[in-house]
Parts: sequence; structure tokens; C-alpha cells
Amino acid sequence: MKAFIKTLFGDASNIAGVALIVAVAAGLTGLGHPAWAVFAMPAAGLGVVAWLARH
Amino acid sequence: MDWPAFLPLFLTAAVEWVEAFTIVLAVSLTIGWAASLSAAAAGLGTLAALTALTGGALSLGLDLHAIQFVIGVFLLLFGVRWLAKAIARQAGLKALHDEDAEFRETRAKVSKGDWFAAWLIAYKGTLLEGLEVWLVVVAFSLHSQAWVSNGIAALVALLAVFVAGLAVHAPLRRVPENAIKFVVGAMIVSFGTFWTLEALAGDVWPLGDWNLMVLAAFFLLGGQALVPIVRGGARGVTA
Repeated sequence: MKAFIKTLFGDASNIAGVALIVAVAAGLTGLGHPAWAVFAMPAAGLGVVAWLARH
Repeated sequence: MDWPAFLPLFLTAAVEWVEAFTIVLAVSLTIGWAASLSAAAAGLGTLAALTALTGGALSLGLDLHAIQFVIGVFLLLFGVRWLAKAIARQAGLKALHDEDAEFRETRAKVSKGDWFAAWLIAYKGTLLEGLEVWLVVVAFSLHSQAWVSNGIAALVALLAVFVAGLAVHAPLRRVPENAIKFVVGAMIVSFGTFWTLEALAGDVWPLGDWNLMVLAAFFLLGGQALVPIVRGGARGVTA
């Protein structure tokens, strides 16, 4: 079961990284700047990828 | 036919089936091909049932935006992991996936256990490697409703890997797994980014579906640019 869950969601840092990407998109959308999210979300995604690659 | 989804699905499935084949091949040397393939078939059957159940349950009466959001987040969870691993491997921070080592490890495991333990290793190996294929097939199919063509993409990859594997009768070590994971990781993160933001904010992408191409190029080129940075950062930490 543990292997099943890990395959689906990844480890804690993976989940935290994706939560950050979604928070950036949801935050900017909630603040009324969805057009900024078009640029900020991919940038956050690449930042999270870089962080995960070093872990 | 959902052609934009075909390539990422085929490549994702091919990489996972290569790993599953290595395990099934190692187990077959202990309990024979018939038993080993029956375990693989049972694993694939479980995945097929899972796909049918998921499709049936999630296609019925759920809000499209909610489904799109969940799919987008799952693709991000999956894609960032693959892309990060591919970058770490290319930067030399993580060992490349070694099918020969996987083969030797599985052989060592099954030689200690009994028949049923070996059968379970082949079943679990096929199921767990196939789980990521299931995830991507379900994600793309819920969006496009192209369940059959997406399932076919995964099955074509399965057939290609097993025919090649049976022909050489050895682990498929020449598959450029890291390069494939790099490309697929970038494509899956692109789909995840696109769908998650579309679910949250509506039609905000200025180029519509063409933004997927722009995002894929951004993550591919950005990922490549990260390789020396990640490598240099690690040297700095260890120095």
C-alpha cells in the first residue's frame, strides 16, 4: 500500500513542491491577476523542479 | 484518436513497460515463462480493471472543472518528479536507471523465496510500474474522453517492449530511458500546468491549446539549462 501511495503522489517534498505551484496559481487568480499566473505558474514549476532535482 | 496525447502516453508507457519487463524476465528464470507471464497478465488485468472503474466512476456527472483540476494536479505530481529525476541523472547527481542492476537484484530476491513469492514479485512489479501508465491514461482520457485510443497507445508500447524483450531475451538496456523521461516529464508538467490553471482561472492562456507547445519548449529548454546549475550547486555544497 505504501508503494502504491508513493507511486501515485511521490514523496513529501514532491507533494510540497506541487502544493506551492498550485498555491501560486490559486493565489494570483484569487487576487484578481490570473494573467500573471500564466507566467508565474510555469516559473514556479521550473523552480520546484530545480529544487527537487537537488534533493 | 487523441493524437496530442499519443506521444506522451506511448513514451511514458514504454519506459514503464521496460522496467516491468526486466522484473518479469528475472522472475521467469526461476519459475518459468508461463508462471511469470501469468503474474504479468494478472498485474495488467488489475490495471485494466482499475482503468475501467476509474473511467466509469469519474465520467459520471462530475463537474468538468473539478475533474480538470484533479487531473492537472496529478500530472504535476507525476511530471515534476520525472523531470527532476531526469535532470538529477543528467547532472550526475543520481545514478542512471540500470536495467542490468534491476535484473540482478530481482534475481537475487526470487532465488531466496518460494514459487508464490516469486510470482508476487512479477505481479507487483507489473502493477506498480503500470500504475504510472494508468495515471497518465486516466488523466488524458478524462479530459478528451478518448479512452480507447489512449488505451491503445499504452498497449502498443507494451507490445513493442515485450516483442523486443522476448527477441533479445535480456533486459532492454539500450533504451535511452533518461532522455525519454526528460521529454515526457516536460510534456506532462506542461499539460498539468495548462489544465490546473485553466480549471482555476478559465480561458486565461493567450494562445489557447498552442500554449501547450510553448510550455513544453519552456520546460524542455529550462530543464536543460538547469542541468549545469544543479550540478554546480551540488559541487558547491560538497566542496
